[in-house]
Amino acid sequence: MIEVDVAIIGGGPAGLASAMKACEEGVKDILIIERGMELGGILLQCIHDGFGTFIFEETLTGPEYAQRYIDEVKKTGINVKLNTMVLEIDSAKRIIAVNQEDGLLEIEAKAIILSMGCRERTRAQILIPGDRPSGIYTAGVAQRYINIEGVIPGKKVVILGSGDIGMIMARRFTLEGAEVEGVYEVMSNPGGLTRNVVQCVEDYEIPLHLSHTITNIRGRRRVEGVTVAKVDSEMRPIKDTERFVPCDTVILSVGLIPENELSKSADVGMDPITNGPIVDEQMQTSVPGIFACGNVVHVHDLVDDVSKVAEVAGKGAAGYIDGKLKKRRSPIKVRAGRNVKYVVPQIIHGEKFDEDIRFYLRVKEIEKSVKTVVLADGERIFEKKIKIVKPPEMVKLDISPDILNRITGDELIIDVEGEEDEEKP
Amino acid sequence: MGGRDQKIVKKLEKKIVKKGFPDVKISADEGIVRLNGRVNLWSEVITIGYLAAKTKGVKGVINDVTAGEIERKGEEKKVTKRGVYENVSLPKRADVVIVGGGVIGCFIARELSRYKLDVVLLEKESDVACEATKANSGVVHSGIGESSGTLKQKLNVKGNKMCDKVCEELNVPFERDGLLIVITTETLPPKVRKVLPSFISNFICEKIIPYVIFRKGKKAGIPLRPVKREELLEMEPNITDKAIVGVYSPTYGVVYPYEITIALAENAIQNGVKIALNTEVEDILVEDGKVKGVLTDRGTIEAEYVINAAGIFADEVAEMAGAREFSIHPRKGSIIIFDKDMKGYINHSLSELILPQDPHTKGGGIFTTVDGNPNWGPDAIEVSDKYDKSVTAEEIDTIFECGSLLPDFQKSSLITYFAGLRAATYEEDFFIKASENVLGFVNVAGIQSPGLASSPAIAEMVRGILREIGLKMREKEEFNPIRRAIPKFSNLSIEEKKKLIKENPLYGNVICRCEHVTEGEVVDAIHRPLPATTVDAVKRRVRTGMGRCQGGFCGPKVARILARELNIPLEEVTKDGPGSNLFVGKTKSLLAEEA
Repeated sequence: MIEVDVAIIGGGPAGLASAMKACEEGVKDILIIERGMELGGILLQCIHDGFGTFIFEETLTGPEYAQRYIDEVKKTGINVKLNTMVLEIDSAKRIIAVNQEDGLLEIEAKAIILSMGCRERTRAQILIPGDRPSGIYTAGVAQRYINIEGVIPGKKVVILGSGDIGMIMARRFTLEGAEVEGVYEVMSNPGGLTRNVVQCVEDYEIPLHLSHTITNIRGRRRVEGVTVAKVDSEMRPIKDTERFVPCDTVILSVGLIPENELSKSADVGMDPITNGPIVDEQMQTSVPGIFACGNVVHVHDLVDDVSKVAEVAGKGAAGYIDGKLKKRRSPIKVRAGRNVKYVVPQIIHGEKFDEDIRFYLRVKEIEKSVKTVVLADGERIFEKKIKIVKPPEMVKLDISPDILNRITGDELIIDVEGEEDEEKP
Repeated sequence: MGGRDQKIVKKLEKKIVKKGFPDVKISADEGIVRLNGRVNLWSEVITIGYLAAKTKGVKGVINDVTAGEIERKGEEKKVTKRGVYENVSLPKRADVVIVGGGVIGCFIARELSRYKLDVVLLEKESDVACEATKANSGVVHSGIGESSGTLKQKLNVKGNKMCDKVCEELNVPFERDGLLIVITTETLPPKVRKVLPSFISNFICEKIIPYVIFRKGKKAGIPLRPVKREELLEMEPNITDKAIVGVYSPTYGVVYPYEITIALAENAIQNGVKIALNTEVEDILVEDGKVKGVLTDRGTIEAEYVINAAGIFADEVAEMAGAREFSIHPRKGSIIIFDKDMKGYINHSLSELILPQDPHTKGGGIFTTVDGNPNWGPDAIEVSDKYDKSVTAEEIDTIFECGSLLPDFQKSSLITYFAGLRAATYEEDFFIKASENVLGFVNVAGIQSPGLASSPAIAEMVRGILREIGLKMREKEEFNPIRRAIPKFSNLSIEEKKKLIKENPLYGNVICRCEHVTEGEVVDAIHRPLPATTVDAVKRRVRTGMGRCQGGFCGPKVARILARELNIPLEEVTKDGPGSNLFVGKTKSLLAEEA
């Protein structure tokens, strides 16, 4: 049995930043457990740029961004176990992991930080009918093949889903000399960041078909083509708009799912909307001493946000160990209100707040000229005007302690109010 | 044409030609009816086939009627099958050649490996269990779903009893989780429900139907037990309120159909059988009414006995020998598989009884795999194309209806769906016979559900037929029925895991996050007696890619290990054999082509 102060599950951006913060806060014995052969997680295959504009105020590639943290980690006494898969975690914070050198590892941690990231939604999970030939890949897998393994999955590509990775892969395939026939998006608006629509799709003259989906995949051994169709307002395919598109590859960028099998094995309480653990303002889960950060909690748009929130978890874990962490009194539930899909953290605690709390929220629908409003006991304790909100772009609200300390009652509601609501007296 | 045949043709002309299909030509020979011509719809082809099969005196139906509407026809592109796909050199001669490496072909191969015989099994795909077998539900039926007196029922009941021993010998898991046939408020047809007073329909559902099922089981030697509502709810707390009573069938169970087939193939190879993968039969050589050999795309094998276990293609292989007495009309079945975190949601397999029953299929149900993944389905759709294994949107909807027994089941836990083709004949019974015209040729055809459960008994029956038609069989003393399985890391205790990793550190490298499969298991699979040379072959042996992420994590790792162990470039790794390449080349290669 190995005993550590903080065990961090996953050495991607969330794990790295939380480890650094815990170390800064004075935690001695930190162990990062990473299943890959290197630290950095998914960043290692993201060789495009655009990372780090907030944290480092310059634009880096994924591996460069990861390396900044890896270099820092190496200067500290943080322990790292690579090529190590965690098989199980329990609520007593015991971890079973395995690798080739050590064999089976039994680890007991005073605190655990969950930073396992997310996985991609697959073809079947969105119920695309048809054959099951070779040539159907999720965007992240295709990205790994091209950028890490050095092989090209196909020559003529149809992409379903305009999430960020989907659009980035549209450009990547094009740069490799493959033909991207089009990017098809079932929603009436692009699923990813505007900058990716411009830089990855429009700049390369790749057709982006909004309100379209794939209704059939055909191919006996390898993909031979797909049927695409327009969808109506309820996202049902319109039969007479169906069109067959010959291709040899289908790339899917149809959503990410926080990867929480280990969280569940530790009995961590889950939020059915985010598919991640319910966390408080310290990023602590329902199990005392187990923290979570990054895409395992909810899917972020920018790695900078992941790093930032991971520091909160690292600090929280440090505080938990030396007993400084605020006692969990008077929990206040944070609820998603009008045009808000979810809010993280879902719970905040405290009689007296002495630090800003950053709330992350995702809206349900595009809306222009809105106001985000925080209501406590019917009282508007915070308002902020925003030009436009859209589902692909997370809204961040930093709320200061003097506002937080005005909260009475045990519930906060965060609304996004549209122009019309504003006109009401 | 004899007098009896003339009578049949006359009857059929009345039934078919005069009932709206004037272009259908009918002939008969010794009770085997041959139908030719053209109609509009595939469903009409099927109807005509059944009309002929149900006619008195007809022993077999060869239905070559075509339909105008055929939408798609699978075409096989010629692809190279050399290199890693040539797993054995093809022998010049054999005592017995088995055509087809599904569960039936492999079971027969293993059965014959008990004797001093040279046996060769030919499989056109890059692995065994690639067609109907791999898409089979894995259900080992009890036999209660079959009509009394059929060969199907007889072999099912017998085969079911043989499964425990075989699975133990082969080291494959077999769970007898039992089946609950559930009688609900929707069991009786709506029309009947409308006219009957509710106390009468209740009496029929609660007493008469369970009794009829029980009697049928008793007659066939199938143990059954009626289950009252209270007990039913205790056995299955998540079942719908519309459930009235049940009938419990304890001998019903599940295996992995591909796993048992691979195990049979490995055990057969261990005992001297040669299994040639990627080898397609092009002709059956016949001289003077006797089998002389088999012509394949890799050469000729001389043999006096040929067993046709070609499944969906069995009619085509029989035709090559001039021994065709049946037609195979593919009937597609699709299955939806759910995450194993739903394990324990049901404790037994469930099947809702809906009357009247479809005469040709037992229809979909709910069952749980050995690892605990709930499965719904299969449905049953007649298709014209022997390569059509697509799952349509309508099918997904139909299968979701199977789940009406479990109204609160979390459907979002769906992992994937797949389809296979049942090798149905118009007689809808197994067709296991030595040909009367071609000595040495044995048809083992029309094997659809409950073919898996029947397979041990079918193999035994085929052995008997071979002996009857003159094959000399002497037992081999050295026959070893025990097959060692690949260790399954995720099932081991902590101490066993530690020990295994010490022996072979590759078992410490978990490459599949969902199913916790290790590199050691993958490497083992690649170097077994029947080598796994493709991503799917590895998947069938060790479950990589079968979990909730569907290979997103392990896919690249498995491809890399395959390339390394087979000593081929990564870009030559395939999903399931020649033509199913995962990649088109190395990065920059397309740019080089353009330049």
